[in-house]
Amino acid sequence: MNRVRFDAATRLHLLLGIIAVAGSILLPALLGSAYWTHNFLIVNLFVAVAVLQNMLLADAGQVSFGQGAVFGLSAFTVGIVAGLWGHSYAAGFLAGVAMAVVLGLLFALPALRVQGYYLGFVTLSAAVVFPEMLVAFNDLTNGINGITRAVPALTTPLGLGLTPIALMVMALAIAALLFHATLRATRLGRRIRVAAVSPEAAMALGINPGALRFIAFTIAATGTGLAGALYVPVLGFVSPYAFRVDLSIFFFFSVVVGGNGQLIGPVIGVWILYLVPNALLADLANYRLLGYGFVALLIMLAFPDGVVGTIEALRRRRRLRTQVTGISVDRVLAWPGARPRPPTQGQAITVRGVRKTFGSLAALDGVDLAVIPGSVHGLVGPNGSGKTTLLNVISGFIALNAGSVAINGTDTSRAPAYRVARLGVGRTFQTPRVLEEMSIWENLEIGADVKGDHSNWLLALLAPFRTEWSENRPDLLAHAQRRVLEVLRTVAGDADILLLDEPAAGLSAAERRDFARLVRFLSERLGKTVLLVEHDLALVWKVADRITVLDAGQVIAEGPPDTIAADPRVRRLFIGGADA
Amino acid sequence: MNDLLIIVVHGIGVGAIFALVGMSFNVVFNASGILNFAQGNMLVLGALFAFLLLPTQPDLLRWFILLPAVAIGLALLLAVQGYVTLLPLRSSVEQHSWLITTLAASVIIGAILLIYQGSAQQSVRSPFTAIRFMGVRIPATYALTTGLALFWFIALHIFHTRVLTGLAISALSQDLDAARAAGLRVRRLQVTAFAISGLIVGSAGFVAAPVMAIANDSGITYVMNGFVAAVVGGLGANLGALVGGVLVGMLSLYAAYEYGGEFQNLVSLALLVVVLMVRPQGLFGRQAARRV
Repeated sequence: MNRVRFDAATRLHLLLGIIAVAGSILLPALLGSAYWTHNFLIVNLFVAVAVLQNMLLADAGQVSFGQGAVFGLSAFTVGIVAGLWGHSYAAGFLAGVAMAVVLGLLFALPALRVQGYYLGFVTLSAAVVFPEMLVAFNDLTNGINGITRAVPALTTPLGLGLTPIALMVMALAIAALLFHATLRATRLGRRIRVAAVSPEAAMALGINPGALRFIAFTIAATGTGLAGALYVPVLGFVSPYAFRVDLSIFFFFSVVVGGNGQLIGPVIGVWILYLVPNALLADLANYRLLGYGFVALLIMLAFPDGVVGTIEALRRRRRLRTQVTGISVDRVLAWPGARPRPPTQGQAITVRGVRKTFGSLAALDGVDLAVIPGSVHGLVGPNGSGKTTLLNVISGFIALNAGSVAINGTDTSRAPAYRVARLGVGRTFQTPRVLEEMSIWENLEIGADVKGDHSNWLLALLAPFRTEWSENRPDLLAHAQRRVLEVLRTVAGDADILLLDEPAAGLSAAERRDFARLVRFLSERLGKTVLLVEHDLALVWKVADRITVLDAGQVIAEGPPDTIAADPRVRRLFIGGADA
Repeated sequence: MNDLLIIVVHGIGVGAIFALVGMSFNVVFNASGILNFAQGNMLVLGALFAFLLLPTQPDLLRWFILLPAVAIGLALLLAVQGYVTLLPLRSSVEQHSWLITTLAASVIIGAILLIYQGSAQQSVRSPFTAIRFMGVRIPATYALTTGLALFWFIALHIFHTRVLTGLAISALSQDLDAARAAGLRVRRLQVTAFAISGLIVGSAGFVAAPVMAIANDSGITYVMNGFVAAVVGGLGANLGALVGGVLVGMLSLYAAYEYGGEFQNLVSLALLVVVLMVRPQGLFGRQAARRV
């Protein structure tokens, strides 16, 4: 197992967050202020919900305006089971969390089809409808009268003014913060983030984005359900009015006002939005809502990235680095080991009679291709000849109209991209899908996450740079370095077959030479099969064992470089033979 | 039979309000990619002005003078709101800010209503007498909202295809960067779009006031149903909003008739989910033209 490591900023956020939560629970209790003790119990319940909303929004990229309904459903279930039906609080607690998870899963269903504000509106509508249903089914819920259910065992002080429920709320809020920080440093957390920022890169790394959305919604609903279940002993009463759409909007506001994606953001957001109107306008109940609206509006105008987000941006600018130690191809090539070459019989990639049309245009028109394991196979042809389309078909990004594709003998003609990737097919893209929101090191780690093996040789080889690369984003890397990073990411994932889409585009002559050495290294020393789409014919002829030439969606020549170079049809296609 | 006719006629009348909100969504969305959550409370404000300014005795002349005045007033208010909403988008990488600023604007309007009238619900008497149609009494307001929806549909169509400013706003919906590169004053056009959406909801609120609940918390229902109307028809397509609005109106009135008023929004939600699952681009929407 890989030990979880937090960077300096995460540690600071965690420390401040825990101090804020613990302090706000312990201090009022010790000072004996019933008013503030009660208020901060609610604040910290809301903090727990908002932290998970932050995870859902920033990490998983899911806009949910319905977390208040999840919270309310849990609380009301506790009220019904433990209050109206007379069961124990523990039974109500479990039922409440279970119902919250069910609602979370219901939210995740439309998320498979739609994203962004569409999903936001579905969840918002659910939050509008939820309290109406509480009233409509008043036989079950006691309707607008609400349900009274005290839990004296949890609200009797243990000493120093502290009640068990206060400690539970404190533990939940702190656990939520710790969980969020830890999740980000784990394989699951990284994969949730990859699926959110680049579904293509995610699928190329064997990730099914829909499955991870489900997981993220389930996690958020579980935590929100726990908070909802604790709401009942805190208040001793549930009413449909407490769980109107405004509550869901409040949770969303808290995250963005605090700073979307900032670990401590939800703590600051809840404090500002809950405490400012309630403390300053305590005697003017009707003006609280107005104060809350204006605070949210003014903060967004003054701090467009949220309070913490803006502070973090300033902090980062102050210690802005312009350079970071680059990724040295030489260092990778200096690796002393070698992998056994795969047997050369059989085929790593088999393409038979593949046809793909876009409207009336046939991008691929009966293409056959066979790639020998462990070889470097060049795929060349003029613009629009179907090279990239073929790569997309092989890697499962585009569904084919006719024909078949097989990887190591396994038919993948109908397989989605993430399943193809799990068979050991890694790919790069024309514009490198380097994930800007993650550190350079995390970009390598998400490669290793494919098989979950972080002790692999590549990461060990690059370990001296870990600290530096963990604190810097890939925007500091030059273009060629980003290409190399993307290739190394697939290598870190231990893919047997690498599909490289125009990897040399935009590289200087020296960088191309390095890249050619890297490609040969992949094949000769690591035993990888490489399918290379490239416009730089000199590079292809230098590194490829075999070459396939495509023109207008058809294969016009296939064979070793020398034979292809002599083929008159190929010569006609690339006049001069140097560059297409 | 008579009940069904009432549901259909009233459904069209109520649906026309949703369609108007949906069209006002579309205008802003096409120009800026923003969905203005405050649109529902802006509609309620239009209705509140009708309550405040119309005399209790029917006065048709006053009604016809106030209608454009309220529409223009709301247009100015929305222009200001639009300007404020667009401010942080210039400097921030955080593109969620409009969700907050438009929702905050909605909260503020609701809060002002709460301070002004508490949780009371105001209503307005229509200066027009009801119409009789196939033996069914139709409140004049439903005929007016339907007419207003058709008026705005045609006006927007002419605006977007014949008027230079309208064409420029259409260009924004096609490709924002290209429009900016072509020298269009994007920000000004977007604020104009907000103002136009204000004309729509302002006139709609004023006209529909007699059948609306003028309360501090009724805005969200109009936002929600207006959005469902826009999505069912295809976000950005006004014909879609028109058809979607009527569909939502009739379904929700049927639900109210059959099961009770509390189920109106549930039916809208169900319709929204079904449409998004089966046909995410809506009935008249372009198929994900901008996403690929």
